[in-house]
Amino acid sequence: MDRREAVKNFAFLMGGALSATTIGVFLDGCTSPSANKGSNLFSEDQNLIITEVADVIIPTTKTPGAKAAGVGPFIAQMVKECYPEDAQKAFVKGLEDLEDRSKKEYGSSFLKISAKEREQLLGKLRDETVASQKAEAAKTAASGKPDLKLEKPLAAPNRYAKNTPYFFAIARDLTMLGYFTSEIGATQALEYVQIPGRYDGCVDLKPGQRVYS
Amino acid sequence: MNLNTKATAQNTYDAIVVGSGISGGWAAKELTEKGLKVLMLERGRNVEHIKDYTTAMKKPWEFEHRGLLTEEQKKTHPVQIRDYPYQEFNESFWVNDLECPYTEVKRFDWYRGFHVGGKSLMWGRQSYRFSDLNFEDNKKDGHGNDWPIRYKDLEKWYDYVERFAGISGQAENWPALPDGQFLPPMEMNCVEKSVKSRIEEHWKKSRIMTIGRTANLTVPHGGRGSCQYRNLCSRGCPFGAYFSTQSSTLPAAVATGNLTLRPFSLVDHIIYDKETQKATGVMVIDSETKENIEFFAKIVFVNGSTLGSTFLLLNSTSAEHPNGLGNASGELGHNLMDHHFRCGANGEAEGFEDKYTYGRRANGIYIPRYQNMNGDKRDYLRGFGYQGGASRTGWHKDVAELAFGGEVKDQMTQPGMWTMGLGGFGESLPYHENRVYIDKTKKDKWGMPVLAIDCEFKGNEQKMRLDMMNDAAEMLEAAGMKNIKTFDSGSSPGMAIHEQGTARMGNDPKTSVLNKWNQMHEVKNVFVTDGSCMPSIACQNPSLTFMALTARAADYAVTELKKGNI
Repeated sequence: MDRREAVKNFAFLMGGALSATTIGVFLDGCTSPSANKGSNLFSEDQNLIITEVADVIIPTTKTPGAKAAGVGPFIAQMVKECYPEDAQKAFVKGLEDLEDRSKKEYGSSFLKISAKEREQLLGKLRDETVASQKAEAAKTAASGKPDLKLEKPLAAPNRYAKNTPYFFAIARDLTMLGYFTSEIGATQALEYVQIPGRYDGCVDLKPGQRVYS
Repeated sequence: MNLNTKATAQNTYDAIVVGSGISGGWAAKELTEKGLKVLMLERGRNVEHIKDYTTAMKKPWEFEHRGLLTEEQKKTHPVQIRDYPYQEFNESFWVNDLECPYTEVKRFDWYRGFHVGGKSLMWGRQSYRFSDLNFEDNKKDGHGNDWPIRYKDLEKWYDYVERFAGISGQAENWPALPDGQFLPPMEMNCVEKSVKSRIEEHWKKSRIMTIGRTANLTVPHGGRGSCQYRNLCSRGCPFGAYFSTQSSTLPAAVATGNLTLRPFSLVDHIIYDKETQKATGVMVIDSETKENIEFFAKIVFVNGSTLGSTFLLLNSTSAEHPNGLGNASGELGHNLMDHHFRCGANGEAEGFEDKYTYGRRANGIYIPRYQNMNGDKRDYLRGFGYQGGASRTGWHKDVAELAFGGEVKDQMTQPGMWTMGLGGFGESLPYHENRVYIDKTKKDKWGMPVLAIDCEFKGNEQKMRLDMMNDAAEMLEAAGMKNIKTFDSGSSPGMAIHEQGTARMGNDPKTSVLNKWNQMHEVKNVFVTDGSCMPSIACQNPSLTFMALTARAADYAVTELKKGNI
């Protein structure tokens, strides 16, 4: 079971005591080497690219997308403050590679290519990330040291166990978290009720009912 | 120390309560209501009800990191980050681990909060009575020592504390989980109702499922507001809708005019007088100024949390008590227990796609222990109960791997499938060798030596976990769930934050630290009524039992004091 699965199972165990937000919180994280809190981790162009990447991951549909919800600056801040150095490096490298690739394959900066091209390029990156993650998981399983095969009976695994940071996976997770917990995401894409005041365990699902944030 | 008489008089009370959490709050309430002048000492800062719940009304987007921890926080809280409770939403309620180190002979996750209210602010609020099954297990199977009390000794005190605290729940007439003085139960959702009826039918009521019994008010109670179904309890409740020191026992104690609360008061040791063979008071380190101050009283209640209390007793040495106060038995520090959990099964429910829920219920369902009772026999001792619940997945639902784009976004805004999970909470046996002791090679921020913890789960617990998975899967299957998966996410001692034992009660002073009134066998005016007193832990969440034991002990202490016996 991967960490995501473990977290979800734990959420069950708490009888729904964990909010969706909280679960989102668990999907990332590493420890050790100190975070680079410098404000110059990203160049100005890279900040713009992050914003555009997020807006491809969560575009405007019938509700506003990630750009309108301010997800770009959120991602930049999170990478600076909540990720260890190796993940920060992987993220910056990912941005550089994305820009190089955009120029090579589409003849222009990611900031200049069309929405369709951005989607296509990120689609490739997604496929490659999924493939790498799968290869890594297979290798870990084959090498006989799976995370959860515990040396000591019952011991819980490290929540912040080291895993390879992937640019696209981090960008996507932070886009989802940043968007659905933003004011726009939580109140327009989802439905936000600050003080429900009661619990109804069994109501008819209304047509078009959105998830409660 | 040169204390003049005037200073001594100023620092003298009828009773001192060490700690302000669930049991300390109860001790303060009971003792002040019985007319005693009480000094309640808390090592951490004050947290004022409502005013200091600084995140309680924040909206999701008002949290800078949306709940995630920064690298800075991970550095200063290396223990607290091991599991979910420490989050951006409630970060001020958890200790900076670097300031209060301890020695892990084996891994032990020690989750602590140093502030008025202690863990009563962050607790899980599940409130279950013990039954005679639990009080008799030690005697029957020979693990640990016999409890000096039975259910009949505690029943009226359970009634008493439930009436005040406000526990919502459903009476079930299940012998292993006695009913209580319940406020109206919270509602099960439609999947839970279906699972309940199918399990109870399949096992002909030899297994039951009930709504969680929780210290959340379903109706206004005792001047406190009812639950608003926000499910943000661990930030502190501005409606006072769950039991905490701040919402419940502290206002009651303050109302008597008999309470003095002193935050920033870390108790270094209990002062023992060999002439009277009693405690005369405590020596406090002011945790802000590091100044030493002595306080005096006729009675001392020790409620510093399981391991905090035992540390204090171990650190209270004298010529007469060289191995810790009241430790002639040698049992002080031994028999540490915690529940093992994070193990069970989940599945998907079909046929409820047109149903949803409204409100966020900070509660789940409960399946009380049914193993090793009523003719059910297992290849291990004792048993487990399940907590769990059903819900529809939200935006974090599974979509295709790393999928993105407009369609995915819109899909994530629609309620997903219904899932139902069951996670076991298992009893661990009292093992003498699971112990704590003082490690003088390290010092904390206040110059105190630290606690060393040497504790592990063993074969009985390991065996039980197989059933915790398999029984859950079996019940979900009987309930018609699909795609059932079992899980064991591992469980290290301490993680359940139900650590108990290390100063156990018992009838025999040779094998126990406290008598049946939570009174030290050897020091008659010292009472210990938090989790450290427990000779066994059953599989139920324990705090309600601490409340009942505390109220009972306070009643006895005051009676004895009036009789001149202590």
